[in-house]
Amino acid sequence: MAVKAFSSEWAELFKDEVNKSSVYKAAGKGWKWTVGLVVEAEPDKHFPESRGVVMDLFDGEARDITVGPAADAQKCDFVITAPYSRWKQVATKELDATKGMLQGKLKLKGDLPTIVRYTKASQEMTECTTRVPVEWPDEQ
Amino acid sequence: MHDSGSGRMARRAIKATSKEPRLVEYASKEPSAFAEMLGGLIEANVLANAEKKKDFDTLVARVGIWVTDIEEGVTLVFDAGQLTVYNGLEPQRTITIRAEAETVMSLSNLKIGVFGMPVYYDEVGRSVALKLVRGKLKIDGMLPNIATLNRVTRIFSVQ
Repeated sequence: MAVKAFSSEWAELFKDEVNKSSVYKAAGKGWKWTVGLVVEAEPDKHFPESRGVVMDLFDGEARDITVGPAADAQKCDFVITAPYSRWKQVATKELDATKGMLQGKLKLKGDLPTIVRYTKASQEMTECTTRVPVEWPDEQ
Repeated sequence: MHDSGSGRMARRAIKATSKEPRLVEYASKEPSAFAEMLGGLIEANVLANAEKKKDFDTLVARVGIWVTDIEEGVTLVFDAGQLTVYNGLEPQRTITIRAEAETVMSLSNLKIGVFGMPVYYDEVGRSVALKLVRGKLKIDGMLPNIATLNRVTRIFSVQ
């Protein structure tokens, strides 16, 4: 059953997908930092308030993924920021996250060598988001 | 004697100002996201690793990187301890690397083995070598500049 985009239910399903992934388990070995996704508001797309996804990832496992205020996500070790519609493009495989970062469509804050070292893990993380069935507010 | 001591102090004070040249500069006032990412990556690598710093301090080369699937590129002008990053491809390049975004990221994940040579026999190395053989990774100027390419790879690698 589809869940509302970037809701607590979505976070729960996303976490399950990450923890089901053997690819992520292997590629994320040694990772020990928090990751925040800032989803910027786009009121014209029926996404009126910015939200933050806080991911507590450790050694190939998602210990917790929660959705809350954008400010919470901004406190993480790594922060990726983009408007709602860009994240939708990532989650529907219209935009590759690596390309998006190189093009500046997704803005990354954090230690670059570390995130580059875990490119495969971040690609699989993106794959996991695409497996969560989502109700997009701008499609209702 | 007294004066020379004062001189040393004065020079120290000047060195500490923000006018000291940075390791990485951007030619454009508005560097592209790709330029900032590569510049930031190289700067972080060089500052964190003495071996990479040694390579950086001796490297003189103009390296172009063109990402084929986003149609964006940069030119990295290494000048013995100073790097200037240009948006797009500039003329007179020593080496030009052309590949998809994923392959460019793989290049920065190449492990460095004995004698400072990139490792091409592990999973990442094999995939890079295979792309080179299949023409999905093109390196213009590779053969006459192997030593330069290896040095750039070492500076670029996060491993």
